Amino acid sequence: MELKEFFTQDAIQLDLKGESKDEILKELIGLLAVDEKSQGILFKMLKRRENLGSTGIGKGIAIPHCRSLVVNRLRVAFGRKRGGVDFKAIDDQPVHNFFLIVAPPLEVSNQYLPVLGKIAQFAKEADVAARLEQLDDPKAFLALLDEKGV
Amino acid sequence: MHPHLETLLEIQDLKAQRRDLADAVEREVQETVFNLSVDEALAELDTKITEMEETLPPLVLNRYRRVSARHPRVVVPVIRGTCYGCFTSVPTALASDAERNAEVRSCQNCGRFLYLID
Repeated sequence: MELKEFFTQDAIQLDLKGESKDEILKELIGLLAVDEKSQGILFKMLKRRENLGSTGIGKGIAIPHCRSLVVNRLRVAFGRKRGGVDFKAIDDQPVHNFFLIVAPPLEVSNQYLPVLGKIAQFAKEADVAARLEQLDDPKAFLALLDEKGV
Repeated sequence: MHPHLETLLEIQDLKAQRRDLADAVEREVQETVFNLSVDEALAELDTKITEMEETLPPLVLNRYRRVSARHPRVVVPVIRGTCYGCFTSVPTALASDAERNAEVRSCQNCGRFLYLID
């Protein structure tokens, strides 16, 4: 299983506009191209997870994630916000890079946790935060995943 | 979407989140990667689930309790006309309802609440 298999280029946004945690979450959900009602439900679920504790894992990276019946397969998106936003991350630093993961409550292939783990592993690599800042286009993001062998 | 169906859907999603957190592997990921206090999170989710259940009207709540006593998943998707709880076909009129999910409906075979999804 390789992470790049899960990302489509239209679910990669290197210039997020949001200025707050909520705006960023909504923008990320928008990348999944689900209907408006489903977007609202996903937002509520992601907020509930964030309320339990921020998914900002430090080094400018956050991995908001949830399960919801409004998707019928695992969906992922990546967004970058120049300058970052306050995401209440564990290191109290602004977050610039966001990996969104949404999965249905039950998946036959059970990919949710492995994908979450791989993204966390990728995000923790020493040079990844800086490399993400330098990306020019979605293809470069996919190439970086490839290069890191995740 | 019918507000009660939306509530049922949220309860189901919260229960899925709870189930994940209670899993040993996920617990480890949440504790090590996200620094989450899983036991506190579980207690918080339990409180929220109970609060949301209490907002359901008696008729829906009774059905919800009956179904949840038999099945771990109370709301299931209908995909291409099939109930994904018991995998039987649902009536065409329901599966192709123009006002999707505007009513709270159940599978005639297994009794689970139905959520129409593309």
